[in-house]
Amino acid sequence: MRHESVPIYWRNIPHYYRLVARRCKRCGAVYFPPVAKCRCGSTELENVELPREGRLVEYTVLHQVGTDFLKQKPLIVGLVELSNGVRVAGQIVDAQPDKLAPGAKMEVVFRRVIADGKHGLVMYGYKFRPVGGI
Amino acid sequence: MKDVFLAGAALYQAGRHYGKNIDDIAAEVLDKALSDAKADIDALFVASSTTELANKQQILGAYVLEALGLDKIPVYRVENGDGSGGAAVALAYHALRSEEHNCVAVVGVDKPNDVLSNQQQDIYAATLDTYFERYFGITPLSYAALMAKMYLKKYEYKYEDLAQWAVLMHSHGAGNPYAYFRRQIKLEDAVNSEVVSEPLRLYDIGPLADGAAAAVLCNSRKEGPRILSVATSTNTAAFNLRPDYDTLYSLNEAARRAFEKAKITPRDVATAEVHDSFSIFGVLAVESLGLVRRGGALAAMKDGDLPVNLSGGFKSRGNMLGAAGVYQLVEVAWQLIGREFRRVDGSYGVVHSMGGVDKVSTVVVVGV
Repeated sequence: MRHESVPIYWRNIPHYYRLVARRCKRCGAVYFPPVAKCRCGSTELENVELPREGRLVEYTVLHQVGTDFLKQKPLIVGLVELSNGVRVAGQIVDAQPDKLAPGAKMEVVFRRVIADGKHGLVMYGYKFRPVGGI
Repeated sequence: MKDVFLAGAALYQAGRHYGKNIDDIAAEVLDKALSDAKADIDALFVASSTTELANKQQILGAYVLEALGLDKIPVYRVENGDGSGGAAVALAYHALRSEEHNCVAVVGVDKPNDVLSNQQQDIYAATLDTYFERYFGITPLSYAALMAKMYLKKYEYKYEDLAQWAVLMHSHGAGNPYAYFRRQIKLEDAVNSEVVSEPLRLYDIGPLADGAAAAVLCNSRKEGPRILSVATSTNTAAFNLRPDYDTLYSLNEAARRAFEKAKITPRDVATAEVHDSFSIFGVLAVESLGLVRRGGALAAMKDGDLPVNLSGGFKSRGNMLGAAGVYQLVEVAWQLIGREFRRVDGSYGVVHSMGGVDKVSTVVVVGV
């Protein structure tokens, strides 16, 4: 959407740049996006960074996109299971879609996500790419 | 507690209504429904998903009442994304059951065609987690594609099996005077349409359409279609953390409660209108409602007609976002009494209204 909000972007930077998730101190469950309370009932959660490697669960090539992504389309959108078992959804880059397959080794990369016009924010975040490239 | 009856209703032709404001079509359909019910209302519930983002209007209900000169009654806006319609019906139902109100109207309305198609994608994506999904370019369509891919693999179907959904919807919708696309299609039309998010093609998407539907519900009547139960549930698991991708959990729970309260089983259902904004959601909804076994929806379609979405569903009738749930309620009720739709043989119908990708679902059981 045009004219993204500076405060919203700024406050989400830890999640966008470093995959900061919330882990329950009592039962160890990990939440990404973060939650305020664990499903076990505990409110004692700590910030943890998610691992940067994992495997592709499934992906699709998306041709209908919102206004921020017109120049980047088509987007590859995928679900990746990180090495600690936590799944994260996001864009897949540096890949030829027809060579991707579930189970492929993936790694987290730091990329530009949205450039809000000529004078607006340039916003960054995590994406995924196949290890070794394809 | 008093029973709740559908006293009157009206539907607006789905389409692109560039010549009308959102309050125009809402007022028009409400006025028709009030004439149909021959009743005065003491509250108005307006279901709408995108009035701020697409139409730049808030407190829409007040402007609808202003258009009709209906003074002094309360208005409430209900927003649960594309599941707003079902949620508004639920609140109206509870207001009547508690006897706080005697007759209320539910108007579902949305006009997505007031903005360009890419802006519609922005708006629809806001039904997802705006900070962790929409921000990265993820849209409901891309999630539907992932779910479709996993479903087809798990239950060993071909894409052609899924494409039958669009064919069935168009064959149903051809007879719906209010549908956006009132024509039959062939399997080749669906299978050869452009890929939008593989494996999904254009014909797997319910086209966004402008529309409005109104239902007047009263607790003082003793005739006509009756709402037997309403249940709403929420799936609080983020998409990426769900245990599987072939269950609509919000629907599963809402259906269980709604059937229990109505004291019927899925086997008693003669007609169902389910939320099929994407073909795969319709398939999963039929299964999560309990109408067919898990993984069996596409096989059931091969074996014969499914009594699901006789309106044409989102594919043929159109996806009117927050208005959809109200359309679905009226369609099911009218199918049971044979008004404007072919009469179905049976006593019970079910509505499934869903917001987001299995975020919230409302199930309404209607009986005659």
